[in-house]
Amino acid sequence: MTAIALAAGVLPAGAGTRVFAAEEFHAPGLGLFKWEPLFNIGPIGVTKPMVLAVILSGLLIAIFWAAFRRPQIVPQGIQNVAELGYLFIRDDIARNIIGKKGDKYVPLLFSLFFFIWFFNLSSVIPFAQFPVTSRFGYPAVLAAIVYVTWVGVGIRTHGLGGFFRAQIPTGLPKAIYPLIIPIEYASNLIVRPFTHSVRLFANMFAGHLLIALFAITTWHFIVQNPTVLGFGVGIIGAVMTVVMTAFELLIQALQAFIFTLLAASYIGGALEESH
Amino acid sequence: MSVLAEVTGSIGSVGYGLAAIGPGIGIGIVFGLGVQAIARQPEAYNLIFRNMILGFAFAEALALIGLVMPFVYGT
Amino acid sequence: MSQDGQDHHDPQNVAWSIVSYLLSGILVWGGVGWLLDWWLGSGAVFTVIGILGGCGLGIYLGYMRFTRS
Repeated sequence: MTAIALAAGVLPAGAGTRVFAAEEFHAPGLGLFKWEPLFNIGPIGVTKPMVLAVILSGLLIAIFWAAFRRPQIVPQGIQNVAELGYLFIRDDIARNIIGKKGDKYVPLLFSLFFFIWFFNLSSVIPFAQFPVTSRFGYPAVLAAIVYVTWVGVGIRTHGLGGFFRAQIPTGLPKAIYPLIIPIEYASNLIVRPFTHSVRLFANMFAGHLLIALFAITTWHFIVQNPTVLGFGVGIIGAVMTVVMTAFELLIQALQAFIFTLLAASYIGGALEESH
Repeated sequence: MSVLAEVTGSIGSVGYGLAAIGPGIGIGIVFGLGVQAIARQPEAYNLIFRNMILGFAFAEALALIGLVMPFVYGT
Repeated sequence: MSQDGQDHHDPQNVAWSIVSYLLSGILVWGGVGWLLDWWLGSGAVFTVIGILGGCGLGIYLGYMRFTRS
């Protein structure tokens, strides 16, 4: 069973052998995130997270296409629900943070929020059970898109020299400027995209590891190697798996919201006229 | 005298974990008391917010130094 | 940061900006200190001074930026 599952690539390569074959308890490690390719398209091996990303993107596009295909003035059915999502992004994020001129960036923020939320949700969907955003490539690219956007907007609003001049804080004693300016530039241009992406990645990575840890605990102590004392630990593991899944549902939506909120904040900061 | 118990592996991560206890409690206290103060006197929000941020910066600094030090000292 | 006269500094942004300033200060001036150490071959003296100094400068920058509107 292990060999077939591994060959299908739906079990991670590192955790599979050790979980099903071990007599001792092995906590999941980084092997949980290593995937063998399911099939190859030319030189590229297509792994389960990639397939999940494509399926979820298609689902997302299909939902919002169906919702806004023939928009009515008085929305019905799925258009009603989708408009809730759109108005949430436009009012609570874009207009709140950037103001009226943020309307131009609502499509970007809308896409970011729903893509990230759907990719996060795949952690708790049965048979998928893997958060796509816990592979660092996905948050990295999304943060890079936001980075290019706000730097581009800033340079277009203030001009190239003006963009770099606008980041220098005002009102400090003159002598301290040479010490402060490298910190300001490093913070805005280097550390900012890094923290933006790592925040999302680390939350999803840790959440997935936690759920896997409790699930493996339950499996090991109740099914694989049951003892009298271990059974209690297995029950605790089962309860904690459910609790952590509920917690992860909250964290997924929250992290998508925070990512989008910060993206709006960076774009808004770049659009400000004066510092 | 034989070794009874031993910690192997990366002790830098253990060091960071210990170093994060204090700032975690500190930041919790700062923001908790700040929220209480805002609740008691909402018109003083700006003043309280500024001091809250100052306290947060100091507490967070220690956590970040704890993050960086294992790399400085090596293993 | 919105234009309708609302709260000028959203607390979440301020908190993450301060973390970012601290981290940048530590990395930039710790890096400068490390380069000095590597050039002069003096162990870890300047690295530690750079880290602590960068930390202090980061706190100072956060304080100056966010406690005056």
